[in-house]
Amino acid sequence: MSAAAPPETRPSSALAVQDSLRRTLRLAGVQLQLNLKTVLREPQALFFLVAFPVLFLIIFGAVFTWDVDEASGVQGRQYVAAGILASAMFGTSFMNLAISIVSQRDDGWLKRLGGSPLPKMSYFMAQIGSAFVITVAQTIVMVALGIAAFGFQTPDPGQWLTLIWVLLMGIASGCAMGIAITRIIPSVRAAPAVVNLPYILLQFFSGIFFPFHSLPEVLQYIASVFPLRWLAQGLRSVFLPDEFKYVEVGQSWDLHWVAAALGIWIVIGLALAVRTFKWNRSG
Amino acid sequence: MVSSTPAIEIRGLSKRYGAITAVNDVDLTIESGQVYALLGPNGAGKTTLVEILEGYRQRDAGEVSVLGMDPAGGSLAFRSRIGIVQQEQGSVDLFTARELVRAWAAAYPNPMDPEAVLELVGLSEHADRRGATFSGGQKRRLDLALGVVGNPDLLFLDEPTTGFDAAARRQSWDVVRGLNEQGRTILLTTHYLDEAEALADRIGIIAQGRLIIEGTIWDLRRELNAATRISWRPADDGSFDSDGLPGDWERSDSGRLSLSTQQPTRVLSQLLAWAEARAIDELPELWVRSPSLEDMYLELVGELDDSKPRDGAAR
Repeated sequence: MSAAAPPETRPSSALAVQDSLRRTLRLAGVQLQLNLKTVLREPQALFFLVAFPVLFLIIFGAVFTWDVDEASGVQGRQYVAAGILASAMFGTSFMNLAISIVSQRDDGWLKRLGGSPLPKMSYFMAQIGSAFVITVAQTIVMVALGIAAFGFQTPDPGQWLTLIWVLLMGIASGCAMGIAITRIIPSVRAAPAVVNLPYILLQFFSGIFFPFHSLPEVLQYIASVFPLRWLAQGLRSVFLPDEFKYVEVGQSWDLHWVAAALGIWIVIGLALAVRTFKWNRSG
Repeated sequence: MVSSTPAIEIRGLSKRYGAITAVNDVDLTIESGQVYALLGPNGAGKTTLVEILEGYRQRDAGEVSVLGMDPAGGSLAFRSRIGIVQQEQGSVDLFTARELVRAWAAAYPNPMDPEAVLELVGLSEHADRRGATFSGGQKRRLDLALGVVGNPDLLFLDEPTTGFDAAARRQSWDVVRGLNEQGRTILLTTHYLDEAEALADRIGIIAQGRLIIEGTIWDLRRELNAATRISWRPADDGSFDSDGLPGDWERSDSGRLSLSTQQPTRVLSQLLAWAEARAIDELPELWVRSPSLEDMYLELVGELDDSKPRDGAAR
């Protein structure tokens, strides 16, 4: 039994492979399993995370009855449904993740993890993974509801593919930014206030509740720097009629820009996260 | 078993927070294979010192070598050879003991068998119960399991038995001794002086950021010049006559005679000679007591509290 073996007999080669990508991925899987167990064992959180955007969808869908664009026949409820889906994806990954990490940091769980040789990247990947599972659940419910009641088109195979990569990149960028922002959140008490400001502002600038093309140009420029605008536009390309692309600011879905903007934020967010992330509260 | 390289070597270690010097120019060597107990009042700098050794905090000055490595980088190689058991490390409520011990074992290059660790800490029977159902003591044992499952060469234990009943403490001490017998170095912080005395090869006392005294329990007794207390109660039949009784005895209200001395053997032999001369066969209620570590510790820390403010604040 290894417990009886004196520590000196440890093979040194075991340490040589410690930084390998395989190990990082394997440990991400182990942590992801723990994360998913918390989701399953406290299903209330998942229920409310799904119910919240659905309620938004129903309320805004009922209010926004006018046409956004007469030529393509796109109605307010369709437009806002795509926006709320984008906003829910970003909210779950960015806001929810940031708050949950800060709460783990405050109660000492991160410190415990950080005392073991768990790579930061494994932890990040597991957090992104569980945000992904939650967001997929949200998306399935909202897409079903959107198609049934909010005038979403049923996507063609190419659009399903677009949905998948937009979903993946949107979650990854939101998570990366969510992890990065934890560095400036002093405590779990302050966390909702700190993450709500950028989240709510971005929602208003990014064409979630108001059509993006009708916003003042300066707000459009500001929003274009951040991922949410692109995430919403990518989702509109999936669920709105193709003719609507002429109403978008670039007279096109600009999917290459969607990919580029989300990709850049994934890289920036992860780089910031790796550089600034701390397992414990103070250094 | 004890190798020549110390497990921990600290020279001139300092750490400041603004005007406060939390750790002030500490030198300390802890040999491999030892159990070392660090004592000190709350706010003395104990936690800061230990967290620098664990790689959680950065030092401002000095040299630190832990298992031959600088903990400041907190490298994975370093963390795979240490084990940490702290207070308040987050909620285990949603997970079973087995799930957590297995998840932790996965992170280490050469872990112990998770089942053996559960057995070691006495949680085998409860391994599939969730943490939410655990008593405080069981949670603490799960903390210990997660700290040791990585098969560490060096184990940091922060107040491992706080809140335990007497029987549970003894069991935990046996576990700690067993881990030490496997060759692991253990750095223990505790408020319980009997715990330090029971477990530790050497003891260091830290107060106001300084390591004020360090050594074996006998070194500490010698350095603190601890006096032995001798006491007995003369028969109260009026026959007692203190004439010729050597030494400076204090008489309490109950009639008991006591004195404190650095030379208990000499005082005792004089006392016995005096008794024999008076044909007293048995000195009633005689006891001879070495001061407990607790007595010495409280005396030492008490003296410091009365002294001037910590030097960091004065600068």
